[in-house]
Amino acid sequence: MPAQDIRELRIVGFLCNWCSYGGADTAGVGRFTQPTDLRIIRVPCSGRIDPLFIVRSLLNGADGVLVSGCHPRDCHYAEGNFYARRRLELLKRFLPVTGIDARRFEYTWVSASEGQRWQHVVTEFTHRIHELGPAPSFNPMSEVDWNALALQAAQGQGCPCHG
Amino acid sequence: MRIGVFICHCGSNIAGTVDCPSVAATALTYPDVVFSTDTMYACSEPGQDAIIQAVKDKNLDGVVVASCTPRMHEPTFRRAVERAGLNRYMFEMANIREHVSWIGKIKEQNTVKASELVRMAVEKLRRNRPLVAKRFETVKRVLVIGGGVAGIQAALDCADGGQEVVMVEREQSIGGKMAKLDKTFPTVDCSSCVLGPKMVDIAQHPKITLYTCSEVESVGGYVGNFQVTIRKKATYVDWSKCTGCGLCVEKCPSRKHPDPFNENLCNAPSINIPFPQAIPKKAAINAASCIMLQKGKCGACAKVCPVKCIDFEMKDELVTVDVGAVVVATGYDLFDWHKYPQYGEGRYKDVITSLQYERLLSASGPTGGHIKRPSDGKEPKTVVFVQCVGSRDKSVGRPYCSGFCCMYTAKQAILTKDHVPDSQSYVFYMDIRSPGKGYDEFTRRAMEEYGAQYVRGRVSMIYPKGDKLIVRGADTLAGTQVEVPADLVVLAVGAESAKGAVQLGEKLRVAPDQYGFFVESHPKLKPVETNTAGVFLAGACQGPKDIPASVGQGSAAASKVLGLLSKKELESDPAVSRVNPARCVGCGKCILTCPFGAIKAVADRFGNPKAEVIDTVCQGCGICTVTCPQGAIQLEHFTDNQILAEVNALCPPKIFANFE
Amino acid sequence: MSQLDDLKSAIKDRLGELECVIGWEQGYDALHATPLFIRTEADLDRLVIGPLAVHNLATYLTAYKGKKIGVVVKGCDSRSVIELVNENLVNRDDIVVFGLCCDGVVSQPKIRAALPADPGFVESVTIGTDELKITVAGQTVTLKKSDVLADKCRVCQHPNAIIADVLIGTKQNPAGANSLACQEEFEAKSDAEKLAFWQETMSRCIRCYACRNACPMCVCRDYCIATSRDPLWLSQDNSPAENMMFQMVHVSHLAGRCTECGECERACPVDIPLMLLRRYMNKQVKDVFEHQAGTALDQTPPLFTFKVEEERIHERGW
Repeated sequence: MPAQDIRELRIVGFLCNWCSYGGADTAGVGRFTQPTDLRIIRVPCSGRIDPLFIVRSLLNGADGVLVSGCHPRDCHYAEGNFYARRRLELLKRFLPVTGIDARRFEYTWVSASEGQRWQHVVTEFTHRIHELGPAPSFNPMSEVDWNALALQAAQGQGCPCHG
Repeated sequence: MRIGVFICHCGSNIAGTVDCPSVAATALTYPDVVFSTDTMYACSEPGQDAIIQAVKDKNLDGVVVASCTPRMHEPTFRRAVERAGLNRYMFEMANIREHVSWIGKIKEQNTVKASELVRMAVEKLRRNRPLVAKRFETVKRVLVIGGGVAGIQAALDCADGGQEVVMVEREQSIGGKMAKLDKTFPTVDCSSCVLGPKMVDIAQHPKITLYTCSEVESVGGYVGNFQVTIRKKATYVDWSKCTGCGLCVEKCPSRKHPDPFNENLCNAPSINIPFPQAIPKKAAINAASCIMLQKGKCGACAKVCPVKCIDFEMKDELVTVDVGAVVVATGYDLFDWHKYPQYGEGRYKDVITSLQYERLLSASGPTGGHIKRPSDGKEPKTVVFVQCVGSRDKSVGRPYCSGFCCMYTAKQAILTKDHVPDSQSYVFYMDIRSPGKGYDEFTRRAMEEYGAQYVRGRVSMIYPKGDKLIVRGADTLAGTQVEVPADLVVLAVGAESAKGAVQLGEKLRVAPDQYGFFVESHPKLKPVETNTAGVFLAGACQGPKDIPASVGQGSAAASKVLGLLSKKELESDPAVSRVNPARCVGCGKCILTCPFGAIKAVADRFGNPKAEVIDTVCQGCGICTVTCPQGAIQLEHFTDNQILAEVNALCPPKIFANFE
Repeated sequence: MSQLDDLKSAIKDRLGELECVIGWEQGYDALHATPLFIRTEADLDRLVIGPLAVHNLATYLTAYKGKKIGVVVKGCDSRSVIELVNENLVNRDDIVVFGLCCDGVVSQPKIRAALPADPGFVESVTIGTDELKITVAGQTVTLKKSDVLADKCRVCQHPNAIIADVLIGTKQNPAGANSLACQEEFEAKSDAEKLAFWQETMSRCIRCYACRNACPMCVCRDYCIATSRDPLWLSQDNSPAENMMFQMVHVSHLAGRCTECGECERACPVDIPLMLLRRYMNKQVKDVFEHQAGTALDQTPPLFTFKVEEERIHERGW
């Protein structure tokens, strides 16, 4: 697995407690080896996942964000993943305009019994993030960058149509 | 805040691939952490005592345990910190076993990951606050879905335990699959003689209300307070008057409809009582084949009925009941063996299922208990049993073992010899699985005393030759091909989830596994619980089971229900949503999206609209928190700040200070 | 009678029953309008309408919740009123809507670009059918109206107020175009170019929250999560990432609710082209949910409802 041979990247996972967190547990119980980049944040339901948590992670410098919930119709809270699906799909579609590579965010459904599927999802997603490499930082990395940016800003480049 | 961190070795489960002392040392550098140690087994009694001691000695007001999944031991540790005098929500867990040590192989990386997960837990804990549970009353009534042997046992145990029971059965009579069986293994006693009295008890028990020909339409509410709507399907017979005399059944001229109770081996009249011991013993009309309902002419049953209980205008009826708990006992269905081309896909009349064979053996069956093969009614002298039809076969999507087929096949081989003493049985099998009390002895008897020929191998083909069916298969022990000219072939079809189970699961919020069987809360420690509080499983709806196991689960589910309803009040989870009225602008978006109706609109003392959470109704999903743009409604224990703290712990914001 | 006279007489008819009627008057110079709160008939004399009356007055409605007021709206502004009503943020019965048939408003930055640098006080503006004559520092500049038309008006699909208790003027036709060249150009850029663009523009942001305060759908006002400690979504750090985070909060909270009135961009003192984000989000909302906020009464914003089977959301294979 290439992910283990090179430097780890920062991947944040948001998982619902009842299905996907359980699925990740099942993968652990089955000793299904996975890349170690992912750090999982447990939430009660995918309906609790504010798309802004994902944006916050990405703007803070996460290289990838993976969200997983119960399969549609199987939500422990009946409707949470239906709302989540709408919110997450919209975020996924919106990211390109911000200049954040939309491939760095993914959402999927994994049930508590799908340990192998979880292993597959984590492995594939980690692989994808490693192919994309570290995410470019939104903030300047050095004082030189800052000054260059300040200069640009002073020149007041706006929207193309504002001249 | 003063936080204590405990890193569990879990023997070598964690310590094998995580440097636990190093994780503990790193944790000491985190904000507010004043004590950190590693421990062999945090969940053991000395482990828990050490936590309690540390809370007291170090004056801790929050505890982080890094060990297994919180889905396993969070309740254990919460109780421990409670014993130490802390609120149980001043506790966080980091999952460094299932999510770290068991899935990663490189110790350095695992150790770093474990440290970060601990850091996340610490950051969240710093924003936790003590939460106190509210109490609410429960409805002292239980719903049992499914009237098979598991449901019957659960219902009787609950009723005997003093709770009211509502039983819903889809078919016309309770009894389930067991009512169709002739004899049961390994005692070879009469199935209906064992089950019959229990069915009668259901009918006569003063605490049990029985709805047959009925299905669960919808389920609302939560543990202790479910609202269930039951659809009573039209039977066209007023059961309050019907005496079950059977005159209508005799006179019904429409007899072209196959009889499902007899596994379609014969036809049934359109108005019917499925079998003599049926409970309730009432007639019902099959609308699809009734001449009156289809063509508007006939009415023979109405003419002969002595109590005038036939009502062709009858409509489905919806009944709503409040219950405190639900037992799901919907059982199983048989695998559709027609998917196998090698068994003729239904072209040969004398290839039948094991359950059809039960009906042929049964004295109340279509042949009156004489084995007659379906094609010409002759008594078969050579009977071939084929095992694992739709079990342990990935090619048809049924990789699991149905568990009971080996045993009932042995029983059927024995009964065949009893019925036709000059007969010879052959059994094609993969392995014999007989791990029950007296089970292996029983299969031995079939072979040794009753002379059943067991052939280890799969059947590759069945084809007709004259009035025989040639069964060709492998004998893997002898390493040869075998061909048996059979009069009758019985397929030991496996079990699959009951039709409609997945849809019922959606209503009850109980997830099915990939084969449609309901998932229990824990495979070992919570076999009859589900992840939805107040909903329990019994019998084969959770996975294929034989009768004693189903009965055992029925009783187990009943004991769980009785335990639940014996409390006067239940505690609600305090991790529910809470409105900050100062921030709420009263737009009602949370009310719109709440799946449980747990948020209501109220007015503050100035008349401004505000949202308010009904604590005991809220299930703690957090949909509302995301809906609210002001962040005015926060899910306790999973607030924005708590989750953001975890995000920021994992991805610290990059700030390049420029204060010039 | 002119459109303005019609409006004045319509307002006069209803003024007695209303707390006030919100319209526009001339601002600090001839080129700028400013909101006017009409309480008496005398106030009516100051009322102006036309291409300089740019403000979306629906923004003020929630502040008057519970009182009966009137509001003058252009076609685009009427969408905000509908959305506020749909979201139960204002009561339809409390509002008298004076709807205009609008033939477009101007973009101040575009006029500024066409005038000499630092024009200062504009003495007079004469508005013709197709042109504006602007007198500044003794000189008169004639601008073609189509050159200085606001972006939103170039693609306007609702020039006439969608809801109105009184509709004033002759109905206008929707614009032929429905996409802006600058939007398309921007969307065609690479991720790296877009990131660099936002890095630069967000480094200009001074977090004055004018975009938020001008937005008719930003009803949280004092309770915006951008300026609260509980929940604490944003730090005070004025870095591009943090400023972008604020815009993401704004976009996210407006998803499926934004009526594309353009007030955020108009209000921005450092000319950040915020509408690039809004228009893109609205396009996604329309694609996925076939929803356009504020175009019909009794709509539910798409993120507050769901379908069990979503026709336009396709599971990605794993």
